[in-house]
Amino acid sequence: MTRLSVVASPGDRRALGFAAACKAEGLPEPRLIPWSSLLSGTAERAGPGLLRIDSPGSDARAGALLRGPGDPARVGGGARWYAALTSALSRLRRTAAAGTEWLSDPGDIAVMFDKRRCHARLLAAGVPVPPALPEVTSYTQLRAGMTGARWERVFVKPAHGSSASGVIALHARGSRVRGVTSAVPGPSGGYVNSLRLATCDREVEVAELVDTLAPDGLHVEQWVPKAGMHGRTFDLRIVVIAGTPTHVVARTSRVPMTNLHLGGQRGDLAAVRSAVGETGWHRALDICAQAAACFPGSLMVGVDLLVATGLRRFFVGEVNAFGDLLPGLLGLPGGPAEGLDTYRAQVRAAFTRGVQRCAT
Amino acid sequence: MHIYEHLSQFDGLQVAEFGYDDDQVNVLSAGGFAWGVRDHFEGEGFDKIFEGFLETVDTTAVTHLVLGYWGADFDNSLVDPVQLLVQAAPRLPALKAVFLGDILVEEAEISWINQCDITPLLATFSDLERLEVRGGNNLVLSPVSASALKVLRFEAGGLPAAVVRAVGASTLPSLETLEMWLGVQNYGGDATVADLAGILSGERLPALRRLGLMNSEIQDEICAAVSTAPVVARLTDLLLSMGVLTDEGAEALLSGQPLTHLRLLDLGHNYLTTPMIGRLRATLPQARLESNGAEEDDEDERFVEVSE
Repeated sequence: MTRLSVVASPGDRRALGFAAACKAEGLPEPRLIPWSSLLSGTAERAGPGLLRIDSPGSDARAGALLRGPGDPARVGGGARWYAALTSALSRLRRTAAAGTEWLSDPGDIAVMFDKRRCHARLLAAGVPVPPALPEVTSYTQLRAGMTGARWERVFVKPAHGSSASGVIALHARGSRVRGVTSAVPGPSGGYVNSLRLATCDREVEVAELVDTLAPDGLHVEQWVPKAGMHGRTFDLRIVVIAGTPTHVVARTSRVPMTNLHLGGQRGDLAAVRSAVGETGWHRALDICAQAAACFPGSLMVGVDLLVATGLRRFFVGEVNAFGDLLPGLLGLPGGPAEGLDTYRAQVRAAFTRGVQRCAT
Repeated sequence: MHIYEHLSQFDGLQVAEFGYDDDQVNVLSAGGFAWGVRDHFEGEGFDKIFEGFLETVDTTAVTHLVLGYWGADFDNSLVDPVQLLVQAAPRLPALKAVFLGDILVEEAEISWINQCDITPLLATFSDLERLEVRGGNNLVLSPVSASALKVLRFEAGGLPAAVVRAVGASTLPSLETLEMWLGVQNYGGDATVADLAGILSGERLPALRRLGLMNSEIQDEICAAVSTAPVVARLTDLLLSMGVLTDEGAEALLSGQPLTHLRLLDLGHNYLTTPMIGRLRATLPQARLESNGAEEDDEDERFVEVSE
C-alpha cells in the first residue's frame, strides 16, 4: 500500500483529525513530518508516497519559527511568516525523494497565501472576484486608490494574513471613516488580535493601523455587500476535493467578518440553497470548482464564496490551502463525499487518484 | 442592531424585485405587489434601473414602491431618488406608499445613507398615504401639507433637528402613525426636546393614534416632555423604545398624565432598574419592557439601539 505522509504539527487537531480519518478508512497512521522540524531544517526528507501538507496550526514552536519571537497574538509580521513558510516548502520539495506524490503543491500554497497573487490568478482565469486596487503601500495611497476607483467601502487585508487577522472593513467618505477590525492596540505597542471586533471612527487611528500593516503587504478589495438571512449576513465556505465541491458551510454573522472566532455561526444551508435557487446554487458550486481548478496541484482547497445582496451574484473572496478544518461537517448528499467529513473524503480521493495514476 | 435583509413585505404586500427575479415576466403586469427598485453591486446605476422599471412595468398600476441602494457620494452613480420619482409622477398616478432607503448595513451603515430632500415627494404625490424613510444623513424636509398621508416613519441613526421641526410644522390632517428614530448627536441627531414641540402639541396632527419618539440618547428628557404633552390623550400606541431610557424617564411617565388609555406603551431596549420595572408592570400592564440593558450596566456604555 502507498505510504501517506502529512506535514502538520504533532498533537494539533488538524493532524489528529486527519489521522482519525485514515484509521476510519482502514489505513495505517500517516507518517507525520512536524512543521517545527521542517522549519528548523531538521526534518527527514519527504516521500516516497503520498504527501499532504496541512497547516502548522497553533503549534507554539512552529509559530515562533515562522514569526520570530514575540506575542503570538500580535498582528503583522506577515512578510516574515510568508518567507519562512515558502522557504520551508521549497526545501521540502527540493529534498523530497523520487516517487513523492504531492497531494498539496508548494507552489499553489505559496500563491494562496499571497492574496494579491491569488486574486490575480483567479481574475486571469475568469473567476468572479471582487475588484481590487493595485499595490497599496500606505493609508494615503489607499485613500487615493479608493478615490480613483470611486469606492467608498473596501476590505483591507494583510497579503499574508489568515483568520481575518489585521483585516479592516473600511468605509471612508472624506475625513469621515469607519473601520471595523479585530486588530486592537496591544499592551506593549503594536496591535494584537482581539476576539471582539473594534470599530474605529478616528481617521488618524485607521491611518496608523494601515500604515503599520502596509510594509508586510496589503491586498485591498471593494466591499461586496453580503446577502442576509434570518437577521444576519452570510457567506459560504465550500471545500473542493479533487475538482468537485463536496462540503459547504454557511457562515453567518452580524459583523462584516464571518469568521467563527469573531462571532460567526454556522447557518442554515438548506435555507441558503432555497434562497439562491437551484440555478444559483449550481452556479455557486461551479464557480468554486473553477477557482479550485486554478490550483491543479492541490487535492483540496477551501473557497470562501461571497453572495452579494440580491442572492444572484457570487464572488470568490479567498481560496484557502488549509481550508478543510470543519469538524463534523459531512459531504453534500449525492456527491462523492456524502456521509464523509472533509478528511475522510480526501483520504478516499487521494487513493482513488493514486490508483488511477498507476493505472494509466 | 443592524438591518441585514431587504424588505420582503411592505405595507402588507410582497416585494417584487424589479430586474432581479427570475420569474419576473409573471408579475410584470400584475398588481398587488410592492415593487423593489434598487442598484446592486456593480449594477448599472439606480437611474438606469429606475428608467428600466418605468419602461418595463405598467407603472400606472403601481401603488407601492420600495427604493433601495442608489449610490454613494463618490460612487459613479449617486442620484437623488426623490427627483427621479417626481419626474416620473405622471407615470405613477396610483402611487400610495413609498419606502425610501431599503438599504442594509452591508451596503451602507444607516448613518452613511445619502438621503435627500423629501419635500418634493410629499408635495407632488398628494395621494401618498405612507412614507417610510431610512437614513438621516443629508435628509431635508420643509413644512408641507400632505392631506392623505396616514403613516410617516423615519429610521435613522441621527435625525436632523430641522426635519423634526418640519414634521411638527407640517399640516398632516390624516396622519395616524408617526415614528421617528431620533438617533445620536454624533451622527447628526441634534434634535432637542424643544424641537418636538410642534409634534407634542398635536395641533396639526388631529388623527394621530400611534407616536414613536424613539432611539434617542435623550430618551429620559423625551419621556418627561411626553408626560405632559397634549397629543398623548389621543394616542393608542406610544413608542419610547430603543433609546437610553433610565428610571428618571420612567419616573416622569409614572408621575405625569394618565397613560392607562394606551393600548401599547413600548419601552423596549431600556436601562431601567428591577424595582422600576416592577412599578411599571403594576401601573401600566400594557407596557412592553423587553430587552433590558441595566444589568451589568456601565453608564459610559449606554447606547441607543441603532446609531452608526
